[in-house]
Amino acid sequence: MASSSGNDDDLTIPRAAINKMIKETLPNVRVANDARELVVNCCTEFIHLISSEANEICNKSDKKTISPEHVINALESLGFGSYITEVKDVLQECKTVALKRRKASSRLENLGIPEEELLRQQQELFAKARQQQAELEQQEWLQMQQAAQQAQMAAASASVAQQAGSSQDEDEEDEM
Amino acid sequence: MAAAAVAALVSSTEQEPDRCGSEEENRGVEAGDGGQQPAGPAAPGCSRLSKLPLARIKALMKSDPDVSLASQESVFIIAKATELFVEMIAKDALVYAQQGKRKTLQRKDLDNAIEAIDEFAFLEGTLD
Repeated sequence: MASSSGNDDDLTIPRAAINKMIKETLPNVRVANDARELVVNCCTEFIHLISSEANEICNKSDKKTISPEHVINALESLGFGSYITEVKDVLQECKTVALKRRKASSRLENLGIPEEELLRQQQELFAKARQQQAELEQQEWLQMQQAAQQAQMAAASASVAQQAGSSQDEDEEDEM
Repeated sequence: MAAAAVAALVSSTEQEPDRCGSEEENRGVEAGDGGQQPAGPAAPGCSRLSKLPLARIKALMKSDPDVSLASQESVFIIAKATELFVEMIAKDALVYAQQGKRKTLQRKDLDNAIEAIDEFAFLEGTLD
């Protein structure tokens, strides 16, 4: 959904996501629209708060990139320590997913073929590709030449036909 | 099949070994100035573990010029913390609605919760 306002600072969490979370948290409770709107905006503030604190913690450490550790410490220092257990659990799940993906892709890469062999196959494929490309270009060149020749011949016979035609005309005139 | 393996070989040299830390460094989120292209999705595969769009969270973080690079996993856990935050504030506000014997949660219930709870002090003055 392209934003026509284009201002990055009008960013919020999508309303639908918030509505869904509210519904899951408070099933069977009606929630006024302006209350929902406020929750959306509170989320924005919350994200800024945590990011900012995590950023400061990161700056004080010797790292350049905010890490989950920094975020967890930020939660603690801002009074959201009660979130930490659940956050850590979910982080573990995330790492497991990432690990599985890496394993899966390396299994595909390996296929039991040693690296040198893979390199050799790679070189072969490149060479083949280059050859095919060269052949293709040659074909195109030949086709162009043929087309050019034909065009020349066509032009030549056309002019011959024209000459023949014009001398015919003269004869006719004479006969008349 | 061999082609896939060979193609993968080309890219495999870019990958760091198993340590989560280095993978995160590779895929850090660019924030603030520099304005480079984002270095890939936040925590690929983990987006289905989150109820909130990680890209949006990432963008929100980036909109603060002071915030430096953040790892994918950091974005992910901030998303998770935000979910918990919504749960918490909704439940707290409900208490006030119930006190007022109402079945509909209204904005003033949230306002009351914000005022009453220390951790929510940062929300005072949050406008619509």
